[in-house]
Amino acid sequence: MPSKKSQLKKQLVAYSFIAPNFIGFAVFTMVPIIFAIALSFLHWDGSNPMSWAGVSNFVDLFDDDQFKASLKNTIVYSLGTVPLTLICSLFLAVILNQGIKARNFFRTVSFFPYVASLVAVAAVWNMIFNPSKGPVNMMLYKLGFSSVPGWAADKNWAMITIILFSVWKYMGYYMIIYLAGLQGINPELYEAANLDGTNVWQRFRFVTIPQLSATTFFVLVMLTIQCFKVYDIVYMVTQAGPGTATLVLVYDIYNKAFISWNLGSASAVAIVLFLLVLIVTLVQFNGEKRFTN
Amino acid sequence: MKKVLTIVLVLSLLMGAVFANGTKEAAPAQAGVTTLKWALWDIASTTYYEPLITAYEAAHPDIKIEMLDLGSADFMTMLQTQLSGGDSSIDVVTIKDIPGYNNLVKRNLLLNLNDKIASEGVDLSLYGGTTDQISVDGKLYGIPFRSDFWLVYYNKDLFDKAGVAYPTNDMTFAQYDALARKMTSGMGADKVYGAHYHTWRSAVQLFGILDGKHTIVDGTYDFLKPYYEMVLGEQKDGIVQDYATLKTSSTHYSGVFYNNSVAMMNMGSWFIATLINQVAQGNTEVKNWGLVKYPHAEGVTPGTTLGTITSLGVSNASKKKDAAFDFVKFVTGPEGAQIVAKTGTIPAIKNEGVIQIIASKPGFPTDSASRDALQVAKTYLEMPLHEKSAEIEVVLNQVHDEIMTNNISIDAGIAKMNEQVQKILAK
Repeated sequence: MPSKKSQLKKQLVAYSFIAPNFIGFAVFTMVPIIFAIALSFLHWDGSNPMSWAGVSNFVDLFDDDQFKASLKNTIVYSLGTVPLTLICSLFLAVILNQGIKARNFFRTVSFFPYVASLVAVAAVWNMIFNPSKGPVNMMLYKLGFSSVPGWAADKNWAMITIILFSVWKYMGYYMIIYLAGLQGINPELYEAANLDGTNVWQRFRFVTIPQLSATTFFVLVMLTIQCFKVYDIVYMVTQAGPGTATLVLVYDIYNKAFISWNLGSASAVAIVLFLLVLIVTLVQFNGEKRFTN
Repeated sequence: MKKVLTIVLVLSLLMGAVFANGTKEAAPAQAGVTTLKWALWDIASTTYYEPLITAYEAAHPDIKIEMLDLGSADFMTMLQTQLSGGDSSIDVVTIKDIPGYNNLVKRNLLLNLNDKIASEGVDLSLYGGTTDQISVDGKLYGIPFRSDFWLVYYNKDLFDKAGVAYPTNDMTFAQYDALARKMTSGMGADKVYGAHYHTWRSAVQLFGILDGKHTIVDGTYDFLKPYYEMVLGEQKDGIVQDYATLKTSSTHYSGVFYNNSVAMMNMGSWFIATLINQVAQGNTEVKNWGLVKYPHAEGVTPGTTLGTITSLGVSNASKKKDAAFDFVKFVTGPEGAQIVAKTGTIPAIKNEGVIQIIASKPGFPTDSASRDALQVAKTYLEMPLHEKSAEIEVVLNQVHDEIMTNNISIDAGIAKMNEQVQKILAK
């Protein structure tokens, strides 16, 4: 039986291995989160002494045009991006899981947008979708469309542009996750389904989709969180414009914190964002129990 | 034994990670030499930093000036973030815009210079009133060293080719609009646009404040209507490039002027030095260009224009405030002004001698109108000092963007500005 001393030693070693990660988490994630919660009840400009604000930072949000626009836009963005990315990445994964020629080449191509520098691809994207000089609109003209979308420059199309960009950028990554899921499906299931005389669609519907439910759940949660936190894509493609058409919550947090130096109300928005993500994730976890096997 | 070794290794790694930040503070200082850190932007493309520093260090062998480049685009945000983190290593700060200055002052990050200005005998009358424009309750937290103003740049060759007389130093907005329309010609790659508005709000919206009857922080913006009508009309008729296209392609204003595609362009005087340089290096298609005063509303004195002030201040957290102020005094003073002017940049001390230096710089247009264009009658700040200027600017920028991309009508846009800015002012 090991002595108490050697037991303690073992634990210390174990803790020391966790420590680097945990200290990083504590210093750079946990402390700021707690600080942000505290800040949301204070007035602070980052320099002068803080003063107590009570819930006024939250109450003020109800009458804040910037916040209201950004909340609506974030929800619209997530509702558009999450299902589209999910479907596209699943579709890609199923196709690239077949024994087609140059499979690895196509896998790499679809993964490329995810690893490519956002700054570079956003610039290219803006050129391709330029309302008056871009090749996309040129093509639409040639195809006979008389009024072509203004994409990032039109407030009705800007959000659609951002959603399309996000789907294109993220689907390669989730495709990889789906590919891993597909490879985990027991081939015997397909054999059995074949013997039962099923067609391709039936095998996809009754074997692939149920077998992938755990993967789908994971992708759903990750995507939703990612969508609520979107900032970089908006910054690069539309700078939240035109007007407030693509202003999202994190953008509003940035404006409040680093343009107006109103850290209290910026933190209040951050808390709202946190609660939103929390609620959506809890709902999804609840749903998981029912729809995953 | 192995385990002990592991723990020691892990701990030393951790210590390294945790204290890595602290070590750089302990850089050995040369005996007797004080190092001042100056926060600024764009070292590579700004020509006056080096000569200013060289001149100062030559006169003060015990001082070394170190530059800290925080980048141009987010300079004020970067600076404020650094300073509010309690960074005492920055001594001298450059202040790029008024909303940022206002925030720095409000947040108590800048030293009040009044005492030092009095004890060192700095003559504020040299600054043409700019120091009054940035005084907060009679206290000055920065001294201007550059005072830029807006002009109209024009491409002489394009005017000659079209057989149209050059613009003049006395142009009303109606005349300016007519001239822009007259100068527009060609199709496709040969298209020449009569005028050009960069995607900044200031390039279009601020025409409205030049009559002196309104400011941009008033909370009512109905006076902007005729100017938006003029610019959107030009945009619709293809007299100027489309705002949406310029914005989504992030087109820089210099490029369109360099490649002979615009006849006239309203822009700040900071472009003079760059333009002279680029033309001299043969990087441009434009060879002959000129300057005239900003267009003006009916009944307003020609030479009334927009201005921006760039000032230098001393960080409140600096441990070398006296030395830092001495450097600020040099750069912003008459000696610094001469050095700045020699690079083609307009210093805040703008006397006849300084104008002479800029106008006689090789590459500056030789006609007398261009030279006279440097004489300014009255300057209105792009953004006046106001407690809520940063917040107001966010709204104005958004609505300007909507109006220029035709996503909102001029009337509805103005109503939106009125409503949202008044809400901010009432808070």
